[in-house]
Amino acid sequence: MSRLREHPLHSILGLVIWSLWFVALYAGQGLGCALAPPAPADGAATWLNAVLGVFTGLTVLLLLGLALFSWRSAAAGSPQRFVLRLAAGVHLVGAAATVFIGLTLLGLPPCA
Amino acid sequence: MSPVLEWTALALAVPLLAGCQGPQSALDPASATARELARLWWVMSSVAGLVLLLVSVLWLYALFRAPRQYPQPQARRIQRRLLIGGGLLLPTLSVSALLFYGVNAARGMLPLGEAPLRLEITGHQWWWEVRYPQGDVVTANQLILPVGVPVDIEVSSADVIHAFWVPRLGGKLDMTPGRRHRVRLQADREGVFRGQCAEFCGTQHAHMILHVEALPPERFDVWLQARTQREAIAPAPGAAGELFASRCALCHRVAGVSDGRRGPDLTDLASRPTLGAGVIANDAAGLRRWLREHQRLKPGNGMPNHDDVDDTTLDALAAWLEGLAP
Amino acid sequence: MKRRSSHPDPARLHAQFERVWGSPSGWRALTVVNHTAIGRRFLITGAVFFLIGGLLAMLIRAQLAVPGYVLLEPDLYNQVFTMHGTVMMFLFAVPMMEGLAVYLIPKMLGARDLAFPRLSALGYWCYLFGGIILTASLVLEIAPKAGWFMYTPLSSAAHTPGMNSDFWLLGVTFVEISAVSAGVELVVSILRVRARGMALHQMPIYAWYILVMAGMIVVGFPPLILGSILLELERAAGLPFFDPGRGGDPLLWQHLFWLFGHPEVYIIFLPGAGIVSTLLPVFCGRPLVGYRWVVLSVLATGFISFGLWVHHMFTVGIPQLALAFFSAASMLVAIPTGVQVFAWLTTLWLGTPRYQVPMLWLVGFLIVFVAGGLTGVMLALVPFDWQVHDTHFVVAHMHYVLVGGMFFPLMAGLYYWLPHFSGRLPSERLGRWGFWLVFIGFNLTFLVMHWTGLLGMPRRVYTYDTGLGWDWPNLVSSIGSFVMAAGVATCLLDLLLHVRFGRPAGVNPWQADTLEWATDYPPASYNFLSLPDVNNRHPLWREPDLPQGIARGEHALVEIDHGRRDTWGVEALSGRVRDITQLPGNTWIPLIAALLLAGLCLSLLLKQYGLALGLSGVILLVLLHWSWRNGPLLSPGANLTVQANQPPLHWQTHDGPGLWGMAVTLVADGALYLSLLFGWFYLGIVTPVAGPTTVKVGAGWLLGSALLLTVGTLYLGGLLRRLRQGSEARLGIHLLLLTLLGLLQVTLLLGALQAAELQPRARALDAVVLVMLLYSLIHCALATILTALQAWRARLGYVSARQSYEPRVVAQLWLYNLGVLWISYLAIVLFPLGWGNGS
Repeated sequence: MSRLREHPLHSILGLVIWSLWFVALYAGQGLGCALAPPAPADGAATWLNAVLGVFTGLTVLLLLGLALFSWRSAAAGSPQRFVLRLAAGVHLVGAAATVFIGLTLLGLPPCA
Repeated sequence: MSPVLEWTALALAVPLLAGCQGPQSALDPASATARELARLWWVMSSVAGLVLLLVSVLWLYALFRAPRQYPQPQARRIQRRLLIGGGLLLPTLSVSALLFYGVNAARGMLPLGEAPLRLEITGHQWWWEVRYPQGDVVTANQLILPVGVPVDIEVSSADVIHAFWVPRLGGKLDMTPGRRHRVRLQADREGVFRGQCAEFCGTQHAHMILHVEALPPERFDVWLQARTQREAIAPAPGAAGELFASRCALCHRVAGVSDGRRGPDLTDLASRPTLGAGVIANDAAGLRRWLREHQRLKPGNGMPNHDDVDDTTLDALAAWLEGLAP
Repeated sequence: MKRRSSHPDPARLHAQFERVWGSPSGWRALTVVNHTAIGRRFLITGAVFFLIGGLLAMLIRAQLAVPGYVLLEPDLYNQVFTMHGTVMMFLFAVPMMEGLAVYLIPKMLGARDLAFPRLSALGYWCYLFGGIILTASLVLEIAPKAGWFMYTPLSSAAHTPGMNSDFWLLGVTFVEISAVSAGVELVVSILRVRARGMALHQMPIYAWYILVMAGMIVVGFPPLILGSILLELERAAGLPFFDPGRGGDPLLWQHLFWLFGHPEVYIIFLPGAGIVSTLLPVFCGRPLVGYRWVVLSVLATGFISFGLWVHHMFTVGIPQLALAFFSAASMLVAIPTGVQVFAWLTTLWLGTPRYQVPMLWLVGFLIVFVAGGLTGVMLALVPFDWQVHDTHFVVAHMHYVLVGGMFFPLMAGLYYWLPHFSGRLPSERLGRWGFWLVFIGFNLTFLVMHWTGLLGMPRRVYTYDTGLGWDWPNLVSSIGSFVMAAGVATCLLDLLLHVRFGRPAGVNPWQADTLEWATDYPPASYNFLSLPDVNNRHPLWREPDLPQGIARGEHALVEIDHGRRDTWGVEALSGRVRDITQLPGNTWIPLIAALLLAGLCLSLLLKQYGLALGLSGVILLVLLHWSWRNGPLLSPGANLTVQANQPPLHWQTHDGPGLWGMAVTLVADGALYLSLLFGWFYLGIVTPVAGPTTVKVGAGWLLGSALLLTVGTLYLGGLLRRLRQGSEARLGIHLLLLTLLGLLQVTLLLGALQAAELQPRARALDAVVLVMLLYSLIHCALATILTALQAWRARLGYVSARQSYEPRVVAQLWLYNLGVLWISYLAIVLFPLGWGNGS
């Protein structure tokens, strides 16, 4: 963990995770609609929205956990304080972005 | 409202609304969808205008007022308020509201179920092929719709990507080769609306105009019937007929006479308001001019030059074409 | 701070430094690799292309001034607007911003040059030659004419025969080599080549912006490079990646293009915002408010802007939910921008603003850019976009964002740094006239254009009918554009006149806080005679007399007798010194390489494929020669011993900028490969195709090759471990064995290609597999060649336990190839592509 904490890439990890989630979300939607498209008349209450929603929730939890971890690691006076605080912020931004985009899953049918 | 206010409001609104009008104006809606989109514009632009004004005024005020020194704690407080309030909350709340609104609006515009009337439009460089599957009616560069009836239009393309767009009836949809997509239109008033290809499609992208006309359902039925129960068309007599058979028939279809597929179907040519997908009016002079100078009127269009044909034959051909109406 | 009580005569030192670092004039100026000279060339060349692009814009506006007016025939008009976009995007905006960064970054960071000076030179030459090839097409009237995003099938061989599209695909790819190499160079330089002690959070904010921009270039440009390669392969060799009739898909092009195209907007905007964040505090006399907030915003913008690409494709018929993801992301990106706007506003609020010409451009920036951002949020709303997409509304929006976000800050920056380039100040009066003309002209042109679009006028039409309500707004736009042109001309006049008539600037004329103002104006080629330690964000505010101390040689690294070009190499996070980074001197290699690349580009254009193949071989040789001239061979004749109290030279360590350079390059390469992989899955799953989707490949051969590559990579890893422990026994022999192993592996890969029953001209999926296999083949062959060279260098004693950094660079390539080959194997052989189709 300490190697991760002190690695420069740690500071952007949160948004890297967000990017992976975003790609997976888009790919999952495309794949789901190619394999077993739910009927548009069902609205947002479909298996595909649910699967993507659960995946989104887990991602948010992961990002929030990492944000907390980074923030706690940023002990006062440590030389990495800036980068760790930044990392915490980036994780938080990633989580917020995931929630915001994930909200659309509640409103629209997946394949119409 | 007092009469003075009323008159002032009217005096301001009239030129503004007049400025919105136009045969292809998105702000002159003639369907529920287009009206919703126009309203969206007015709401969003008002809010955006306010935000722009607020930010600019704040900025200019900060720039030109007498500079002052803030003690450290106060500076920090201002800093936090402006960054969190203005930088974080203001945009977050605005875009959240907008997203909510947008998702709802989009859901409302989903073409769920089947519409009572279905037709197919195929984009070509640079004209529109319009098919009414009921009764196998084919026309070009004109789209006739019944008022008040939802119409599903399946769009596709025969060559490059085009986009189907009739702003007064709704948003646009790309016409992509290899794919078919559906757009639903429902005109809520009688009238003529202009459509135009919206995706750049080559040399004559500017001249790919669709005449759209919404008719009362009875008149629409008459229009369609006239085409499904049409009398047989006799080929053009004499030299004009030979000319048509040797040059035009390869690309143009006239039901019962020729079966070309590359160019627009000419079966109801005389009933169309324009020639060349909106280049000139379809009247006696226009038709003759088009036959002679179409490469000058619409450079690069797919029809070869026929300026070697003598005037008499061309005139005879034009006379026959003028009769191609149901 | 002042370490030395007695230092040598500064004038003599300057002369000595000049001998080692100087940029020669005359024809040897072509060998210059110095960042100041290269940056200046970028800026001047960019300005010339801006004028060309502007001229094209005038032609467009002249034609559209009144309905039915045909100044240019439709095909020529289409060339003109296509080239206007292409020139402004690829030959002006990106190179200009990169050029400014190349010029400024080392100076701001207290370094003497960028990490890879030869790469800067190569980047410049590729840009220049690519730009010339592209604009030549316009003179010959065979310029690209399918719009600057080259949508296929319009840009394909069937619908645009002739060389028009080829000019775009090859020319732009050539120019992008320049963009990506500058991207790699800036990332590594910002992280590794700074002043001693400058930690990441003490960097000037501009460096953060450029770091993010450069990172975005590295990831964002490869999708377009791949797309261009595929489209050119389709045009030239008939591989049907985008042909729906043969299993391809025109939408794949749109995805690849916008995967690049949207980040591109932010690649242009972020450096502009960086200029704003740099200038505003100077003119307010206080630090930027919320440095951390701004850094976080910039990072967030950099990432989120990659999640917006489909918002250019809202009308292609993608399901609503997918559109909503991108719509939400597009709105989301407004938030970090909002944070920056308010950070600037608060800085103004808490500071004591001075209202000088650069400040005027900043005010213009704010108003224009915020307006553009707001219409951008509107466009993010899917249903509204269906109305205004591809109309003049979008044209107006895009110009508000790009001119507001890039051109206005650029002008502010040019006025601000002008004294740095010339030592003189521009005229206040002409400057104000220029600004107001541009500002008024711009708004006249583009504010009205929103309206034109709402009234239904599509973009890219060469003429329009009267009676649609479009007449007066178009006329106003055209008049406005000529006012704006007059403003640009006024600014240009000011810039030219100031060189002769401007007042001398003196030291630090704007009372700035950053180190670039501690050089001479114009700067010496080595920037700083001595390198100061930096441990805060505002070195010149803390120590206003720093410039004089630097010029007197009172700080570090003033030794020059050794004849090397030295600067500090630091740890990325802390800024602690870890080595002396030795930089190469002037050389012909970059120019020769770029000329050969230009030859390659031309031979592909003229379809001389034999010649192209030959030239590729020569280019490979030149580049290998370049790589040979590293380590102890970097500066022939220089003394390579360092003083006892100094850190080692970078190539005498286990780590060095080259290692980072390779890593960042592989990130770019990986982005290219992932785009290809995306194409494979897209065509296999999303594209509606009839017929079988399985592809027959030589699976056994492929597996064998992948296994052998695994063995080789492990072998190399073991070698490196032992080198690190100090054991270098028979290093050359081991490397030779590894080379042989590589050869065998490449042979197996060739076998896989041989055994695969591909019909690449008939089926798009087969064509993708072909490209995937060729990709691995080229990469593995390159790794093998590089390993052979390492074996040779080990024999000559250039590589050893003490100097083990080069094989580490090569090992990264092996590891990368390993990952790629296994992923390809999984994707081609194991992934059941049959899934998606049939529906």
